[in-house]
Amino acid sequence: MHVLNTHTRYPHMLEHVDARLKLLVALTVLVMVLTSGGALFPLFVLLACLCLSVVIGAPARTVALRFSEPLFISAMVVLLKLMFTGKEVLFSADVMGLGIAGHKDGLVEGLQIASRIMGAVSVVSLLGFATPFNEFMAGLSWLRVPGGFIEILMFAYRYVFVLFEDAMVIYQAQKNRLGYSTVGRGLGSFGTLAGSLTIRAFDHSQSTTVAMVQRGYDGTLPALMHRPFKSSEIVLSIFSLLVMGAVWKIL
Amino acid sequence: MSVQGSRERTRKRILAMFLLAACHLTLAADAYAMHISEGILPLGWAVLWFFIAAPFVAFGLYRLKKLTATDLSFKPLVGLMAAAVFIISCMPIPVPSAGTCSHPCGTGISGILLGPAISVVVAAAALLIQALFLSHGGLSTWGANIVSMGVMGSLAGYAAFKVLRLIKVNMAAAGFMAGLFADWATYLSTSAELAAGIRGDSPFLPLFSKILVAFIPTQLPLGILEGAMTAGMVVLLYRKRPDLLVKMGVLKPGEVRA
Repeated sequence: MHVLNTHTRYPHMLEHVDARLKLLVALTVLVMVLTSGGALFPLFVLLACLCLSVVIGAPARTVALRFSEPLFISAMVVLLKLMFTGKEVLFSADVMGLGIAGHKDGLVEGLQIASRIMGAVSVVSLLGFATPFNEFMAGLSWLRVPGGFIEILMFAYRYVFVLFEDAMVIYQAQKNRLGYSTVGRGLGSFGTLAGSLTIRAFDHSQSTTVAMVQRGYDGTLPALMHRPFKSSEIVLSIFSLLVMGAVWKIL
Repeated sequence: MSVQGSRERTRKRILAMFLLAACHLTLAADAYAMHISEGILPLGWAVLWFFIAAPFVAFGLYRLKKLTATDLSFKPLVGLMAAAVFIISCMPIPVPSAGTCSHPCGTGISGILLGPAISVVVAAAALLIQALFLSHGGLSTWGANIVSMGVMGSLAGYAAFKVLRLIKVNMAAAGFMAGLFADWATYLSTSAELAAGIRGDSPFLPLFSKILVAFIPTQLPLGILEGAMTAGMVVLLYRKRPDLLVKMGVLKPGEVRA
């Protein structure tokens, strides 16, 4: 769960850039990655985002963890495309009397998709590293995402850490009592753990509501106020988008 | 000649699928539930799934607003359920047939407790946090993942539970089937979304069937495990906190044991 924390070192160069601008720039670059014709632009974005992540102090282990799943999925996609799509045979082999073939055009398409995955993941990861959650919520509110949904997100994010601690206490207690010694017992224990979490979520929600009503809660949470944009951050955002747009056009 | 050719093609397909499954097992240090990764779908497909998901999320938010008007605790409860679903879907559970760990979706239980409309909102919230802070799923694939996990998973889980309870099947069996169908519905729809998104000029059905086969080693047993987990949760709630099930409308007050 520690990977949920951004763990970036403050202050960093993106700290004072408004979350709304970071969100807009990230979404625009994401669209560029998705619409790029080849693999070079996504790889350029990957490199740029990895460098920025290092500069703002994201720990290498957290970065590696974030990329582990997309890497696995990329490998699967390349394999699927290589083996099952395409016409131009790259290699063929005879395994136990049965022929298998890899296709060159399938491999190229697979590598393009893989680069797109890695490029897009790097953009969203950087956004996560560089933007505190409450500022991100304020940015979503500015983009006219419904207030009810933002409130659910805020409650969920706030209580993920609380419930996670509860879950770890229950899990350790079960583990110490050999609750996961066999698959069958493990399943039973996991069901109990998940059920207990649901009960605790319910109880926490009741006590939270009572505490919030006493503080004037009427069913809606106030959103974060937006400060006016600074001209420097607007210039920085436009400049970075222009650079990315030019590279997108060239590559 | 044509019969021999057909046999040869079938043998080739079987071998290719076996090799793919073998690669899947050897590569999978940690198998993941079926979330479509960031960047995998072309822009057109990403936008299409987003527009398909939007009305379901909007309806869920509308239901939430109506329920909050009568009970202020409902919104915090949905937020906390989203947190619980997030944590449940981050917990590793062993998949013996694949020799690895995977994790459940959790939408089966939220569909049972909150109903499919609000469960879509819960899934959307959990997916957004996972995309931003775990790189699990993504922003561009958020719509597609909401459709598969939120809409299909919640609807399948809810429908299975309701139908089985209607014909007087006990809580444990109904919970098991709800979890099983929620997981498998998510897996089926994700495979379809993935095949449609990455097929390029190739036909849809062959690639769809190959993706289905490739994920069978983890997803088939995972569905059964999620079913067992959901059954465990429902039974625990029934024994320890039937008042919660009554409040959520899962049980009628008369159905609670003394």
